[in-house]
Amino acid sequence: MDLHILDHRLRVTSISKTGLEQYTHPLIKLIFLRNRTRCKFFSLTETPENYTVVLDEEGFKELQPSEHLQVEGSTWLPLNVVSNGNASSSSQSVGVTKIAKSVIAPLAEQHVSVFMLSTYQTDFILVREKDLSVVVESLVEEFNIFREEGGESVPVHSQDACNGLQRNGREVPHATVHPVLIPENQFCVMSLDPDTLPAIATILIDVLFYSNSPREGASIDQDMECIKFFSFSMIDGYVSLVMDTEAQKQFPTDLLFTSSSGELWRMVRIGGQPLGFDECGIVAQISQPLADSDISAYYISTFSFDHALVPEEDIVSVTEMLQAQRMSS
Amino acid sequence: MSSGYKPDILWSPHHADRYVICDTELSLYRIGPAGSSETKAGALPLSEETAATLLAINSDTPYMKCVAWYPKQEPECLLAVGQANGRVVLTSLGQSHNSKCKELVGKEFVPKHARQCNTLAWNPVDSNWLAAGLDKHRADFSVLIWDISSKFSPEAVPAEKVRLSGDVDSGLVVTKPLYELGQNDACLSLCWLPRDHQKLLLAGMHRNLAIFDLRNTSQKTFVNTKAIQGVTVDPHFQDRVASFFEGQVAIWDLRKFEKPVFTLTEQPKPLTKVAWCPTRMGLLATLTRDSNIIRLYDMQHTPMPFGDEVEPTIIERSVQPCSESIISSFAWHPSAQNRMVVVSPNRVMNDFTVFERISLAWSSTTALMWACGRHLYECTEDAGQGVAAAEKDIATKMRERAQSHYGHDTVQVWRNHVLAGGDDPQLRSLWYTLHYILHCSAAALQETIGPFKAYSVKVILECTTETRRCWSGSDRQTDVPWYHSEERSLALQLCGWISRGPDIDVEPFLKSLEQEGEWERAAAVALFNLDIRRAIQILNKGASAEKGDLNLNVVAMALSGYTDEKNSLWREMCSSLRLQLKKPYLCVMFAFLTSEPGAYDAVLYESRVAVRDRVAFACMFLNDAQLPRYIDKLANEMKEAGNLEGILLTGLTKDGVDLMESYVDQTGDVQTASFCMLKGSPGEVLKDPRVQCWIENYRNLLDAWRFWHKRAEFDIHRSKLDSSSKPLAQVFVSCNFCGKSISYSCSAMPHQGRGFSQYGVSGSPTKSKVTSCPGCRKPLPRCALCLMNMGTPVSSCPGTGKADEKADLTRDKKLAQFNNWFTWCHNCRHGGHAGHMLSWFRDHSECPVSACTCKCMQLDTTGNLVPSDSV
Repeated sequence: MDLHILDHRLRVTSISKTGLEQYTHPLIKLIFLRNRTRCKFFSLTETPENYTVVLDEEGFKELQPSEHLQVEGSTWLPLNVVSNGNASSSSQSVGVTKIAKSVIAPLAEQHVSVFMLSTYQTDFILVREKDLSVVVESLVEEFNIFREEGGESVPVHSQDACNGLQRNGREVPHATVHPVLIPENQFCVMSLDPDTLPAIATILIDVLFYSNSPREGASIDQDMECIKFFSFSMIDGYVSLVMDTEAQKQFPTDLLFTSSSGELWRMVRIGGQPLGFDECGIVAQISQPLADSDISAYYISTFSFDHALVPEEDIVSVTEMLQAQRMSS
Repeated sequence: MSSGYKPDILWSPHHADRYVICDTELSLYRIGPAGSSETKAGALPLSEETAATLLAINSDTPYMKCVAWYPKQEPECLLAVGQANGRVVLTSLGQSHNSKCKELVGKEFVPKHARQCNTLAWNPVDSNWLAAGLDKHRADFSVLIWDISSKFSPEAVPAEKVRLSGDVDSGLVVTKPLYELGQNDACLSLCWLPRDHQKLLLAGMHRNLAIFDLRNTSQKTFVNTKAIQGVTVDPHFQDRVASFFEGQVAIWDLRKFEKPVFTLTEQPKPLTKVAWCPTRMGLLATLTRDSNIIRLYDMQHTPMPFGDEVEPTIIERSVQPCSESIISSFAWHPSAQNRMVVVSPNRVMNDFTVFERISLAWSSTTALMWACGRHLYECTEDAGQGVAAAEKDIATKMRERAQSHYGHDTVQVWRNHVLAGGDDPQLRSLWYTLHYILHCSAAALQETIGPFKAYSVKVILECTTETRRCWSGSDRQTDVPWYHSEERSLALQLCGWISRGPDIDVEPFLKSLEQEGEWERAAAVALFNLDIRRAIQILNKGASAEKGDLNLNVVAMALSGYTDEKNSLWREMCSSLRLQLKKPYLCVMFAFLTSEPGAYDAVLYESRVAVRDRVAFACMFLNDAQLPRYIDKLANEMKEAGNLEGILLTGLTKDGVDLMESYVDQTGDVQTASFCMLKGSPGEVLKDPRVQCWIENYRNLLDAWRFWHKRAEFDIHRSKLDSSSKPLAQVFVSCNFCGKSISYSCSAMPHQGRGFSQYGVSGSPTKSKVTSCPGCRKPLPRCALCLMNMGTPVSSCPGTGKADEKADLTRDKKLAQFNNWFTWCHNCRHGGHAGHMLSWFRDHSECPVSACTCKCMQLDTTGNLVPSDSV
């Protein structure tokens, strides 16, 4: 297996719902006017709390600082696992599950905080730049690690990174088990030919920026069952969309790509309070049991909470599993 | 591989006159001759000769990303279209009634997770197999190989599950691929390997090329590279693959897959298409974005190196198929040589043939050959008898001259121009000059006057005393300054006007001219010697001679009227009418008579008059200041013109080599140059690299003509004149026992003794020692045919018929006969007497040793060549 440290230097930011209008211009530019910016990595996720924007330094320049913009202080680097075709493809489980044991668990053990971003195409594991040496050190046995620089893949060896292990932060005997929320909406993960993006521009703008206004009053009491969640990312020219079936109905069916089986996903939101960025092992906590029972999952971290997507048909077993976990702790 | 909505173009693999343009729809065109009855009024002109007719349009498949044409003859016009959502649809054009592909058309192959289909490739052998390369999905494979004959999957997705997959035309949707390859990566391009149709070359997003074998998909060969777009196999060289990345093309050898064999020079703009020419070996065409130029790389003679050092040569050139418009895509014609159709973004098409580079070569025997494409043209000299000698090619001339022993007459050097055919005034002048120079220097050597001087007029000139002569034979006495000195008379000797000795009488020269019938020249020489009466006499003689020109009498009459009065009518008329005289010598005679003393430009610069006569004239009538200036000027003129008459001025000095150089540059006559420089030239001139080059080239030329005997003669001739050119013995036959050379004559001599290099020659006094090694006295090997020990004179040799001739030869000479030389095969090491071997191999190809099956003679590449010159 190869682990690629991609050539993007990312910032994790959050835009408050009230301050959105200040940022619509840069966001629209980043989403629709690809040739006007040099931003190669852009992800926008709307949650009930805020908008989480993950973007590279080129894109970050577009965002004017203001009271509505919260920025996580560190620079994050995306990691990407490439199966290299050598691995046997017997396991049908996909996504985070596949890398739970090999990447997420070792990083959690080393107390490296990770920020997960799954897309239609692949899974990105974001780590802080300053943790890179620890990351390399702890993963070098399992992976051939490459660092991508200007289009070339340069092999990374642990000696380059650091000597000996530096434990990241204090030893925490056991991670806290966070409360989870399982809303009722069904989600789908989709993609789109970037060339057809203009064709859905108005719908996308509507869904992203105006969605809560008309239906707000009607669905207040359903708030607990359904949560607003919409994610758009455009990374290296690939578009990935995560939305619930309600939002999906607004899009023309022939333009969005999805699996032919039309699989649907349910969400597990992790955290009762905003999780922050320093706690580690959160992803491991949920991905580990999923991997054990071979359930595939998407995992999308946002500024406040983490979100895992699991197949609709597995939600019952996942719920039981998580309850069992809470009991045991 | 189309990108966006720029039109791409595909030729039908089997119908040489059909192609498809694909952008948002598929349009089938037929190409035909322009203006023919077959083409309708709506035909689009593609070139001056061809036009295209639109046959059919298919717009059934939206979001087209790539198209591939079914490779087999039947069903024709079946196309696979890869869509933006990853579906592959089979479709057809203009074949609505064809039942053969009815069940195939409309069939869809749907990947589990929708994403763009980047590339499609039909398996060239198992044509049911269609490989599709898709974009990345986190949980899916990027290469799906579909079997187009597979029935729609029976376990196919339940109805409620296909709600997202658009229209479900049940029965025509296939969701289960035959093979899945390349997890977690995108496939940007792929191709089947023609060497093994089960193998597939994939180019993935993660900067690698990988070869998968479908029989064992877990094993693969892969290499990391940026060049992952447009992988394509050279149809003529199945291990050669091109791929590209942005502006750079990498050429791979699958046998040595670790890194590209080479990369082509990077283009500033990203490439959009790279295609091997199907009709010509090793020709790669590339197109960059927004360009109106197609770049061609000719790798025809590129050896595929296994070592890293060999850097192959590539000829790069570019063509501009349509003058202004940008090219969107192009496609090579599958069978017409070097032909392609290009299409512009607004679908303007152009039929274009890349003109083949022409390479040409001169043969050593005058023929010129050139190759263009698959045609080979030969241009040979008309061998008919009517061809004038002067018009013959220099190679023909040189061949003829070589056969007539041109250059070999060292006694009567001037005769060489006769051997050369005697019709070239320059050669005539050259050999006469050489004759006089050699004559003078030989005489100088005899009289020990001085060392061998590089005799030439230029060298000789230091004028001294000045004497005047008066007109003789004329009643008028006039003072024409006439210069004389020892050096000037030496120069006159070189010009051939006077012979050696104190005597400065030109009478013998005049006689010889009269004999040759050169009346005008003789008269002019007589006149220049101030003997007007003799000149008139010569002219009269000329007029009365057989085939004489009666006009000469008229000239004589005019001459006799000579007057030195400045303003006489005679002078006036002569100076104006002389220009109408066709004979240059008559012209200069009157010019001389009418010019002022010391101002003889009309004579000196009359280029039709032989250089030697003008120089001789100058030596007589120019003063010490004018003479060197004139000689210098003339010498430079000759040098520039490469006129061999100028050798008279330069001699065989460095200047002479310069002159000869420009002569060779103009004529290519290395033969004359070689012989000339060998003839008279002092040692240092022979060392001139140019001279060595001429000599080597002449020898090579003789070899190329298979004039081996002439070459040998030339080498002997050369070694006589230039002792430094004698080759040292380089090959020795060593004794099997003591390892010493058997060829040195005396065993007491040290091993370096190189007295004789001819094999079999032994200076040993007694016969018994001839067959044994002079070093250790052990017997020499036996001849495989006569079984005698080598070195033995063989009297019963069947190869030598002339027994009587042998009797006359001395023993030593007999031993040195070629027939007795050692010969052996380098392969099987059997051999024997050269004569025996020659006669054996005249009838056999195998080695004469009974158990040996070595085809000795066939191993000898020159063994079957016969010298083309007579011995």
